[in-house]
Amino acid sequence: MSAASAEHVGARRAGTSRGLAAWLIVLVAVLAAGVGVWIYQYIRGLQITHMRDNVIWGLYIITFMYLVGLSAGGLIVASSGRLFGVERFKPIVRLAVLEATVAIAMAAVMILPDLGRVDRVLNLFIHPHFLSPMIWDVTVILIYLVLSLTYVWLYTRRDLAARGSWLALGTRDTSEAARARDERTTYRLAWVALPAAVLVHSITAWIFGLQISRGFWYSSIMPPLFVTSALVSGLALVIILALVVRRFERISFDNGLVSYLGGMLAVFVAVEGFLVFCEVLAGYYPGVTTDASRQLFTGRYGPGFLGVEVTAGLIVPFILMAFASLRRRPAIVALASVLALIGIYAHRGNLIVIGLGKAPIQLAPGTPLGTPQASGSDFAMSSVYFPSGYEIVIVAGMFALAALLFTIGVWVLPLKEKGHGAGGLSG
Amino acid sequence: MTAEGATTYPGIDEVHPDLLKATRLGMVIDQQKCIGCWTCSVACKEENDVGIGLYWLRVLTVGGDNIDVPSGTFPDLALEYQSTNCFHCDNPPCVKACPVSATYKMPNGIVTVNWDRCIGCRYCMVACPYDNRVFNWRKPVQDPPASLVEVGNVPPRPKGVVEKCTFCEHRVAKGLEPRCVVACPVGARVFGDLDDPNSEVSTLLRERPSYVVFPEKGTKPSVHYLMRFSPNVAGGES
Repeated sequence: MSAASAEHVGARRAGTSRGLAAWLIVLVAVLAAGVGVWIYQYIRGLQITHMRDNVIWGLYIITFMYLVGLSAGGLIVASSGRLFGVERFKPIVRLAVLEATVAIAMAAVMILPDLGRVDRVLNLFIHPHFLSPMIWDVTVILIYLVLSLTYVWLYTRRDLAARGSWLALGTRDTSEAARARDERTTYRLAWVALPAAVLVHSITAWIFGLQISRGFWYSSIMPPLFVTSALVSGLALVIILALVVRRFERISFDNGLVSYLGGMLAVFVAVEGFLVFCEVLAGYYPGVTTDASRQLFTGRYGPGFLGVEVTAGLIVPFILMAFASLRRRPAIVALASVLALIGIYAHRGNLIVIGLGKAPIQLAPGTPLGTPQASGSDFAMSSVYFPSGYEIVIVAGMFALAALLFTIGVWVLPLKEKGHGAGGLSG
Repeated sequence: MTAEGATTYPGIDEVHPDLLKATRLGMVIDQQKCIGCWTCSVACKEENDVGIGLYWLRVLTVGGDNIDVPSGTFPDLALEYQSTNCFHCDNPPCVKACPVSATYKMPNGIVTVNWDRCIGCRYCMVACPYDNRVFNWRKPVQDPPASLVEVGNVPPRPKGVVEKCTFCEHRVAKGLEPRCVVACPVGARVFGDLDDPNSEVSTLLRERPSYVVFPEKGTKPSVHYLMRFSPNVAGGES
């Protein structure tokens, strides 16, 4: 960073500090609302959600999957860039690693409001049952969280030490030789981080994909589909965050990188579309009229699948990013990224609500719901789920916490690479 | 009335010492006898203090789209019932799924829930192909209150845990049959050890054609349905 640009940042900082304060206040307010509703939920029980014994899981698990995907995608992009020597990724690698770390930490937190007895969460460590994919997931998420934090520290500690920050955690050596050593260490770590990121979302997929009870989920395509959707959403979020953070001059890169990332997004979206098509065709082709895949096209969930997931989330971003002329415009790349992010969230939602929406034994009166119903019947053959206001506020609070952590990370951590050429990849 | 931790019903209840030695307890439900009266379901709620809105046992209609509605067009109608509680599978997907082993298989074959350990993640409910498990979305409410009705010694459940049919393990531990079995007014439910070739359940399964629900899922349910003598289409996945 030149002295001139440092002054410029200083001037900008004064200008943006008021905006930053307002942003932080909004985030803290939303977080406080979320925590407040969570306390209310703890007192009243999960009856304040719209989940019941038919749609057993809802927005919390949908968001959990989404956050794991955002994290895995971010880290896969960062570490594959590192491993395969995609030198042009360098300006955004630290940002991507920070995004991955915040997202995985929030995924771990996101599980908690879904638990009926969150006070017993330590039973996961006291009485683990290793045949349960849930325990595999807890294990891999915690390992992955430690890995991500290590990554962030390794990438930033020399610069933190140069600033004299205590966040360097005892690191003092800021010499070029030490930096070169760290370069090699991060390179080696990428060999662990890349498979770990693939694994973390595969295991999340197996929570669903290994359950023979739910025909819509019981499929070997689930891990590849989850990893691909992680790549789409993780890359899309990294693009948006990179563009936003660049506006505040915490990182710098040229628009060529944006266009390059847009091209990658088009490839990932195309693979995602292919896998979704494979899954739907296999469900649809045999002509079983009650197969869950039929619900994707008609009725209550048609618009969510065909409209949001496929059209807005896959087709439009692909078309936008397929043309080099459109990819050159950062605003269009940002638009495609936002659409892809919405589409993947819809994919998570469709997976849960369609997978669970119908009573597996289709005999009247169906599945007991678990609370007395205004309709008079305590049972349902099938039901539609839309989250309650309480669920939405709690999840909004979690997203606010994620944004808060990310904002603090951006302001505290040196995200700019110190730009010492290609030698870094010699590891 | 309360003897050794379980209410007994004089004239109906008798102690079956064989139940104490059982290694795979199971149930046979006779579709020829079942009249769809829901007495089993009500008795179950009473015995186990099951909260309002929760059912460990429900009576499904095998027929038309609504409860008690036959399939077909008059006069060619068909109707039977499938009284459904936890199947205590030999290969229980819920037990595999539980991250904290709060649901587990007892040596006598009963699949039960330790609701002092359950964290309320509901993965077992997702794993059950039959929706035979229920969750306490709120603090369970009994109506009439548990203090007013004669009940078994089943500890109260807190809000936020999963519960389900336990084959009345508290009664079985005393050699008594599950409450639904003794409550059934037509004797459609028979309880015993599937591993014992001389038990009544084993004999019935040898003598009469029977089915289990979703055999293709490989869960090996311990609850079998004896087919009607002129069977309707029953239990199919749809």
